[in-house]
Amino acid sequence: MLHIEGLTSGYSIPVLNDVSIKVEEGQFVAIVGPNGAGKTTLFKTISGIVRPSTGTIRFANQDLLSIRPAQRAHLGIAHVPEGRQVFPSLTVMENLEMGAMTEAGQRDWKHNIERIFEWLPILAERRGQFAGTLSGGQQQMLAIGRGLASSPKLLMLDEPSMGLAPTIADFIFERLIEIRRQSNLTILLVEQRVAEALESADHGYVLEAGRVALEGNNQTLRADDRIRKAYLGM
Amino acid sequence: MTQVLEGFLQALSAGLLIGAVYGLMCVGLGLIFGVMRVINFAQGDFMMLGMYAAFYFFTALGVQATFGNTFGPFVAILLAGPVLAVFGYFVHLTLISRVSGTRTSSLEGEGHYAQLILTLGIALILQNGGLLVFGSVLASIRTPLSSSAWELGPLFYDVSVFINKARGIDAVVSLVTMLLLTLMITRSRIGKSLRAAADNPTAATYMGIDVDRAHRIAFALGTGITAIAGGLLATNYPFHPFVGVEYVIVMYAGVVLGGMGSIIGAFWGGMTIGLVQQMSTLILPTQLQNAAIFVVFLLIIFFRPQGFFGRMVERT
Repeated sequence: MLHIEGLTSGYSIPVLNDVSIKVEEGQFVAIVGPNGAGKTTLFKTISGIVRPSTGTIRFANQDLLSIRPAQRAHLGIAHVPEGRQVFPSLTVMENLEMGAMTEAGQRDWKHNIERIFEWLPILAERRGQFAGTLSGGQQQMLAIGRGLASSPKLLMLDEPSMGLAPTIADFIFERLIEIRRQSNLTILLVEQRVAEALESADHGYVLEAGRVALEGNNQTLRADDRIRKAYLGM
Repeated sequence: MTQVLEGFLQALSAGLLIGAVYGLMCVGLGLIFGVMRVINFAQGDFMMLGMYAAFYFFTALGVQATFGNTFGPFVAILLAGPVLAVFGYFVHLTLISRVSGTRTSSLEGEGHYAQLILTLGIALILQNGGLLVFGSVLASIRTPLSSSAWELGPLFYDVSVFINKARGIDAVVSLVTMLLLTLMITRSRIGKSLRAAADNPTAATYMGIDVDRAHRIAFALGTGITAIAGGLLATNYPFHPFVGVEYVIVMYAGVVLGGMGSIIGAFWGGMTIGLVQQMSTLILPTQLQNAAIFVVFLLIIFFRPQGFFGRMVERT
């Protein structure tokens, strides 16, 4: 579904070097790695906020790089950004409506909102509240709900655990796994919490200093010596 | 005693009527500066253009002949709104978009420095261009209603209040325009997407919102709204190509007083200024009208720095 080939991207200096990543339909793929490895830059390149210097990105058999950034959401890519980035002066409900700006999101609005409220009941409770007044964990749930409201084909999550208390991060992971189980959504997750990310994903990539250092399915990665030593503390 | 009371009620009603038009004028800037956070010092001059557009629609383009002297001016004013909105749209497309929106969202200061200089430049061009094209003679959009009044009362004893008919209609047109705009901004999809684009341009792009288009729509709307307010003011006040300078500061004061980002706030900010301006004449010489406005402005900002409707919301 998402095929990234030989991607070099960044700002004045490249952050990503010759990165190739594949996400197939229905897959849950995790990209893990330390701070500064280029994970967020990868997501921003997919969403069009950062332009790559070389490489190709194909999404659902279309050349994504030839499509304007604001149009990419309409193809079915939902980007839940790092640091949540909800719309602070809009209410929770209005934030969700903004997620549903895509054609598919408008079509499925009633169905989606029911499911979102079922999965993340706190959003139903706070629906009239300004998003800027929510706690960090609630904002993260809102950002995820907003992503789901677009009826995405691919849900991209950029460090949903960032800046959250461990118990809240655990809760969000548990919700994501439940959402995935019920919806069979294709998910691309970027995470620093390597253990949790690799545990829930089917396939994983380790990004280090802008390169794919390692890739494999859930079991091979978790059995890999380097991963066990460097990230899992075993 | 009755004379004092009568003077008070007269100033109060004049303040409310002029305040409604000031309110609309501030709402136009409120969209551009308050909601979209684009500094526009040419807003007063857009208003001046709105006044001249209404003037020429009325006198030269047949509105007077078609709709007559009494209501023709109001038709001309309402026509000037869309014309200036189109003008604002193209000013944004060609100039403002280069220093706002996605182009500058990641820059320090979000392009505000460039906006400041660019719009001051546009203001100068419009003022001096206006002088060339329209001349320096005072113009006005008079209707017979400008010099007649409804008498309310006698309310009690023999106190009655006179409502200038033109100002009365001006206030009603302002309120209706304001109401329609508020509904659009708060309820419609496009209105919500404008606010989202202003809140966080990057996240709005992730939602599939074309942020630059949202900015352009807001800019066009804000220009059109202020132009209508300008036309309404022109039914009572003569104008000239430099009239914008007198109003632009009032507009900024109104937007800040009402609270950044709040359309309704900008309206009440303008209303407050109108009231203070008219009421101050009761106790102060007329020359101090504008000084009184800013004394009250400072007092309000001292006690409520976020303005009437401003929200102390952390921007994520």
